[in-house]
Amino acid sequence: MDFVSNWILTAIIFMPVLGAVYVWFGSGNRLPQIRSAAMIGSMLTLLLVVWAASLHSQGQGQTVDGYGLYHSSNWMADGDSRIDVNYTVGIDGVSKWLLVLTAFLSPLAIWASFSSITNRAKEYYCLLLLLESGMLGVFCALDLLLFYVFFEFTLIPLFFLIGTWGGQERARAATKFFLFTVAGSVLTFAGVLYLAYHQFQYGGSGVFSLNIPTLVHHGQSGLIPAGVQWWIFLGLVAGFAVKVPLFPVHTWLPLAHTEAPTAGSVLLAGVLLKLGTYGFVRLALPILPAGAEAFAHFMSVMAIAGIIYGALAAWAQEDVKKLVAYSSVSHMGFCVLGMFSLKMAGVTGSVMYMLNHGLSTAALFLVVGMIYERYHTRDMNKLGGLARQMPVMAIFLIIFTLSSIGLPGLNGFIGEMLVLIGTASSGETHDGLIAGPLGMAYAVPAATGIVLGAIYMLWMCRRVLFGPVNEPPGTPDTSAGLPPDLNGREIGILAPIAVLCLVIGVWPKPMIESMQPAIEEHILASRVVDGDMDVAQKDADAVEQETGIAFMISKDADSKPIDFDHAGESKEVIEESGVRNGS
Amino acid sequence: MDLSAYFPGFLPELVMVVGACAVLLLGAPARAAVPGDMSKQAPGIVAIIVTFTALIISLWLGHPASETACPPGLMASDLLYYVRIGGLGIGVILLFANLHLPVANERAEFFSMILFSLTGLLITAAANDLLVLFFAIELVSVPTYILVALTREDKRASEASVKYFFLGAMAAAIMVYGFSFLYGALGGTTTIAGADSMTSAAASTNTNTALIVAGLLLSFAGVFFKLAAVPFHSYVADVYEGASSTISGLLGFLPKFAGLVAAVKLLSIFAWDVPPQVLWVLWIVAAVTMTVGNTIALLQRNVKRILAYSSVAHSGYMMIGLIVGPSLLAGAGPMRDGVSAMLFYMVLYGAMNLGAFAVLGTLAKSGESVEDIADIEGLNQRHPGLALAMALCVFSLMGFPPTAGLLGKVYIFSSAFSVGADHPFGGPLVVLAVIGVINSAIGAAYYLRIVAACYNRESRTETQVVGGPALRLAVVVCSGLMLLLFISRDAKSAAATVVTKQVVTKNLARASVTPQVAERDSATP
Repeated sequence: MDFVSNWILTAIIFMPVLGAVYVWFGSGNRLPQIRSAAMIGSMLTLLLVVWAASLHSQGQGQTVDGYGLYHSSNWMADGDSRIDVNYTVGIDGVSKWLLVLTAFLSPLAIWASFSSITNRAKEYYCLLLLLESGMLGVFCALDLLLFYVFFEFTLIPLFFLIGTWGGQERARAATKFFLFTVAGSVLTFAGVLYLAYHQFQYGGSGVFSLNIPTLVHHGQSGLIPAGVQWWIFLGLVAGFAVKVPLFPVHTWLPLAHTEAPTAGSVLLAGVLLKLGTYGFVRLALPILPAGAEAFAHFMSVMAIAGIIYGALAAWAQEDVKKLVAYSSVSHMGFCVLGMFSLKMAGVTGSVMYMLNHGLSTAALFLVVGMIYERYHTRDMNKLGGLARQMPVMAIFLIIFTLSSIGLPGLNGFIGEMLVLIGTASSGETHDGLIAGPLGMAYAVPAATGIVLGAIYMLWMCRRVLFGPVNEPPGTPDTSAGLPPDLNGREIGILAPIAVLCLVIGVWPKPMIESMQPAIEEHILASRVVDGDMDVAQKDADAVEQETGIAFMISKDADSKPIDFDHAGESKEVIEESGVRNGS
Repeated sequence: MDLSAYFPGFLPELVMVVGACAVLLLGAPARAAVPGDMSKQAPGIVAIIVTFTALIISLWLGHPASETACPPGLMASDLLYYVRIGGLGIGVILLFANLHLPVANERAEFFSMILFSLTGLLITAAANDLLVLFFAIELVSVPTYILVALTREDKRASEASVKYFFLGAMAAAIMVYGFSFLYGALGGTTTIAGADSMTSAAASTNTNTALIVAGLLLSFAGVFFKLAAVPFHSYVADVYEGASSTISGLLGFLPKFAGLVAAVKLLSIFAWDVPPQVLWVLWIVAAVTMTVGNTIALLQRNVKRILAYSSVAHSGYMMIGLIVGPSLLAGAGPMRDGVSAMLFYMVLYGAMNLGAFAVLGTLAKSGESVEDIADIEGLNQRHPGLALAMALCVFSLMGFPPTAGLLGKVYIFSSAFSVGADHPFGGPLVVLAVIGVINSAIGAAYYLRIVAACYNRESRTETQVVGGPALRLAVVVCSGLMLLLFISRDAKSAAATVVTKQVVTKNLARASVTPQVAERDSATP
């Protein structure tokens, strides 16, 4: 087993590459073979990821600094043991779930491309698989250079995917996307190198290291003066904020999402945006605690601006895909807001939000793609009453819409709630963490984003699904062999996501439980006062007492046996209930 | 002393000189006889054999031992070893890439010029005297003027050659004028290493500072011309455009490499303890060079001109390493040693730049060479392999994973940060590095246009593949190197061990350790 747990992450990262090589050289020129080869490659990756996740939760393999399945081999040998730049991989409770999300969405994205991609299919599937590889690599990497390598590498396949198989304005969209991201990430690059230098010079180890755990230790030891932290923080943020995207630098996103082929939009919204937020939680928050705290207000204001601006912009769209794209700007704002509360509840909510946004937005893009394949338009003025034509599609669209607006019982709610709780209670010291920078003043305007979200999403549903039937002439186009409503393949794509939305919505406990130790150890360690941390519950407790939000939580608690519904109970009770649930 | 005592240590240079003369002689009978196929091919093949032999000998000799017998004016150092491996290694690829040139009769002259130029590069690295250094740099440059003219029967090539020659001659004159100041400043010696009188003590005396500044700046003017650094960059686009593509690849490598080596030699006289004015001038030139090169490249539509201006920008990046200077820590590695980072980047740049130019050289559009960006649109549909090679080289120039270009950038910028905030020039270098990374983002914009043209556009023009298997081999090797150096630990460590062998220690060891270097040292735990 040691061999397996040593190498399984490497196998995960390179399995899609193998798949791509097989698609290119081994699958001949016939479309069905190319498709199935790509599908098998990504399914094998998913199997490996599930295996790795179970190995990780059993505590198999080498664990270093709390990162499981740790493996390190010499990559940048230059004859000097004082340079620690290696191929280092490992996962913790946070990256594990993002890994699962990536591996889960990739086969679906490939499957969804079966009907729409016939032109240069071989290259297309190769690029999708390479993209998957890059994304998996980011979540596995524990070396900063390796992280950066994968982080940047994801741009290349996506650039080609958008630029070659995209819509009318694909060239502009691809270039804008690429250049925006590069412009940000070169500054990240500078920040990373300066950080490494600082660790080498002042960290006392005498080793020039880009190892993430080493740098986290250095950052949390307080050896980086606040002024230096600010600069490094700004450098790191430049790249991550563009990727997220945070408010003023979001303009590449609507264009790229709208022009990308469906699979591109799915992976872009589902996973690639999370590379930015993951960068925040993995690097910026733990390594630069003072920088994070100093800029928390600024980042949160930008996040709230994004929430409201994105929502208003989404409301104004006529193009369904653009609407979903702008909703991503709004939703990712919540993600950033939550983590800068620097509280357990907020960060947990933020990570949950990444996963849930990945599921629901990816699904929405899939549904929009399916509509587009039949009607060749996404203009809401030209579509209407589709619930009568496509009842199955309508069911799915409604499920994902509700998940996206955060209906209790579906997955979106958990993250949203935790983010708001964390933000509102950020200024308090009650949960074993020192007081965070945010407070009610941030939670209230953010909450309006939820209301706006409900308005534009339901508005979109009403216009597309209900009312008198409105179809462009000559549609639905069934010439490509598609039935008027969804076929088995398309249901097979959407159903797993819908099921997951429900399961996470009803029973998020295992996820939250497995990520909270990692958050405590790897993200918020420098903020723990007494080492005695009990998670979201106390945060929720405090908010309950102060605000009306308590009503919603307890209502939720009545309906379902989810975890944080024990808000208000003492820690002992929760432990008991954990035992009860386990037995 | 018997001259033959010096042979063993300088065998590669000797082989190159003899080989260059031999290839030149091959031309005489070939012209007299009816030019048959064999006699046409002979000069190129002999040139490759000569260079390859010199490379093998260099590898076999290994790092020069400290007791190597050196004739006056020459010096065997680790720097020489690195230049031998890097210069001759890329030189072999260069010869392969140019094997199909020229169509005219002057094949023997053409290949012997390349060999002479390579020899000049090696002697630049071996020079231990300012006069030898000057001759060596001229030995690199003069053949390149001829090469530009020889490659194409085109008015543009002749025009480019003349422009290049006049500007080059002027730069050489300025440089040698600067050397004369240094001669005075150093108290009447032109030796680079070994004269004890010209340590940092010389730099600190008031009387000499002005002379040193004038001498160094004038000398650097010549170096800047070789590097195509602003304000001596104006010839680049016309010359690169006028020469055939593969020769443009050579122009981006040999003169630049020689210029950097000469710069290392010049600064090592003072063990990098030069008056701050000199460092500031270098700083400004580096910053302006990057920015101007990238900005003008953005405006071009001709791929050769894009690559020419990008070559200006890359000189700017490399100058960062030059300003950082060597680290005296044992085995500091290119992550912390600016000179090592710069030299690694130089050879890397030689390969990726040559690769991109070689892809262009492989294409022809109804007999004409392919230059406009519209001509490579849809390259992927017509020639997928060439498009892939182009993408690899261009992504490497961009500094993007999974190519070695990223490592080059990591080394350069990391070494700039490693100077440290305690060092008097640490702060400016951090700023310079930030200017550098921002510039690499600007660079991405025009490199991306090349890649986008190859992959994301529909093919509009018909192009043919020309140039034969040797050129295609060069394309494969250059683009393969980008991946190999990135992935393979052994390849990287081989490249890096060469670099980490402290290329300039031999020079610095003789100079007393200067205060600023010592400070840099002690600041390190």
